Amino acid sequence: MTRRLGGWGPRALFALAGLAVLLAAIALAVSIGEIAIPPATTFKTLANRLFGAGYEVGRVQAGVVWEYRMSRALVAACCGGALALSGVVLQALLRNPLAEPYVLGISAGASTGAVGVMIVGFGAGALSLSGGAFLGALAAFALVLLLARGARGGSDRTILAGVAGSQLFNALTAYIVTSSADAEQARGVMFWLLGNLGGVRWPDVYLAAAVAAAGFAICISQARALDAFSFGEEAAAALGVPVARLRLVLFAATALMTAAMVSIVGSIGFVGLVIPHAARMLVGSGHGLLLPASALAGAIFMVLADILSRIVVPGQILPIGVVTALFGAPAFALLLYRARRPE
Amino acid sequence: MRLASFLAAATLALGASGALAAGKTQYPLTLENCGRQITFDKAPEKAVSIGQNSSEILLSLGLADRLAATAVWVGPVLENLKAANAGVPRISNNQPSFEAVVKTDPDLVAAQFVFDVGPNGVVGKREQFEELGIATYISPGDCIAKDNSMRDGARTKLFSMDLIYQEIAELAQIFDVQERGEAFIAELKQREAKAVASVAGGKAKDVSLLYWFSSSQLNGDAWVAGKFGAPGYITQVLGARNAVESGEEWPAVSWESIVGRNPTVIVVGTMDRRKFPADDPKVKIDFMEKDPVVSQIDAVKKKRFIELSAQAMNPTIRTIDGIETVAAGLKRLQLVD
Repeated sequence: MTRRLGGWGPRALFALAGLAVLLAAIALAVSIGEIAIPPATTFKTLANRLFGAGYEVGRVQAGVVWEYRMSRALVAACCGGALALSGVVLQALLRNPLAEPYVLGISAGASTGAVGVMIVGFGAGALSLSGGAFLGALAAFALVLLLARGARGGSDRTILAGVAGSQLFNALTAYIVTSSADAEQARGVMFWLLGNLGGVRWPDVYLAAAVAAAGFAICISQARALDAFSFGEEAAAALGVPVARLRLVLFAATALMTAAMVSIVGSIGFVGLVIPHAARMLVGSGHGLLLPASALAGAIFMVLADILSRIVVPGQILPIGVVTALFGAPAFALLLYRARRPE
Repeated sequence: MRLASFLAAATLALGASGALAAGKTQYPLTLENCGRQITFDKAPEKAVSIGQNSSEILLSLGLADRLAATAVWVGPVLENLKAANAGVPRISNNQPSFEAVVKTDPDLVAAQFVFDVGPNGVVGKREQFEELGIATYISPGDCIAKDNSMRDGARTKLFSMDLIYQEIAELAQIFDVQERGEAFIAELKQREAKAVASVAGGKAKDVSLLYWFSSSQLNGDAWVAGKFGAPGYITQVLGARNAVESGEEWPAVSWESIVGRNPTVIVVGTMDRRKFPADDPKVKIDFMEKDPVVSQIDAVKKKRFIELSAQAMNPTIRTIDGIETVAAGLKRLQLVD
């Protein structure tokens, strides 16, 4: 295990720097958009909202800055943070660098749930699309865990079960789409497959922030246990970690966190897989530092990705999942290359 | 006039006699249709129409007895065609399979969308039908100056009702019912001219129209009309301006961008379908009046909404209803004289 940062001084400094970058990214996100709003207007709007400054601002422009862009940036941050946290926890629990919420079928399940509500009308109107996505995600995750348990295998089996579960749910989605939908509905489905922050409003912020905060609290309280898990379950048990109970709690926490995020913004790949690795390269693999570092890095990455998704193609918004992978993959390749082992 | 010259050319080419009345079709008849030559030795006897507009054109031409089956319906048939349509078997409301179409042993497949019958046709490719000796006819409105390689497609040129008139004339010619075709076209043209004349005050040039079809997520990006589709045509003949500049048929546009465009009027799509919450026009209007930002734009504050059937927003014979409805709406809102 490498520890590049130790002690409280550097840690606090690191955390502050991370928060500063996150705030800067959010400031950028509320300043940039499809319609040009002068920086002064943006500043006045924020001052009005945050400190009750009472400047005169056009209601439409102020609304766009605060109701649309701010809520969107905050949800992006919560979502990025929560997905990265889930990735760290699953990678530690399963001791597999490929583990992440989507490899375990959560995204596929969410899409199936949403598509089921949209096209077949599961729940007969009582269930919203997000509700369907949430239930689908949980169902897929539960199925994968059951499969893995039934196979009595180690962590590799869980990953395999996840792949099989994903295939099953993807096939179900494809079946529902091809058997009963038209071109337009296929477009509606893309939302759940690639993610989209376009529909985010303030109520979503409250939900996302509460879920991300609760998830973070649970994970960080188990940081030491997660360190022990890195040596294997037996070693963890020998160190006095209640393995079975902890596994259940942490699996449930990541599943709920991911399902909640997917139900708000659709499924966004790449963040949960790659941010934890990138963070590990920066701060080492001790979970006391890795968890907050990943959460911050995930939040910053997602806010930046959302900005890109709005400006890359003028007049059009790319699905956020496309941007996270399109820009994240080369960035990660660069990190991998720079961190390569000396020959 | 494109149609007139087309008919004149066709009449000349076929050497039809009869200076005034529409001619009888001379077979073999060869037409150019969406980049292919199609030939008919005689009038088709068993046709399958895929796409509600194709079906409604054939029914309007009094050809119910020549229809072996229909498919792809997005809503109820036009009221005046109900009786004629009742006797025609319907394969499915959605895309039928290739074999379900072939099973009816048709000699013509008339399709409304390249998406259904075309190079990547969901139902089949034109070659596939031709290999079995089945002719295909695709709506010119869906292939001329239109790129169908993505989603709902994009246009490079403004759609025009002339394309629908061309389709009616060509189908009438194929089935040798040219007189009925001309009468039908004349009726539609008369309605179009009347609606256009009703708003000929000229004030509409300051009016921008946003056509909101539906959305996959109510708060999320809205599917609105690009500037070149049927709504673009309705807007243009009424002398107004489309709020969105995209050439895509139905681009998904964010509300930030919509409030930035500040349209004068919002045309709200109505439909029988209820697959997305935003399919319901009441839900659409309720959203606009409650959203903290959209509720602040003039069109919403002054309740400048016009409800319009989604079918009229697609290139069909119902686009004429669209011209009439939007013209009446602009008058009601006192935006034109």
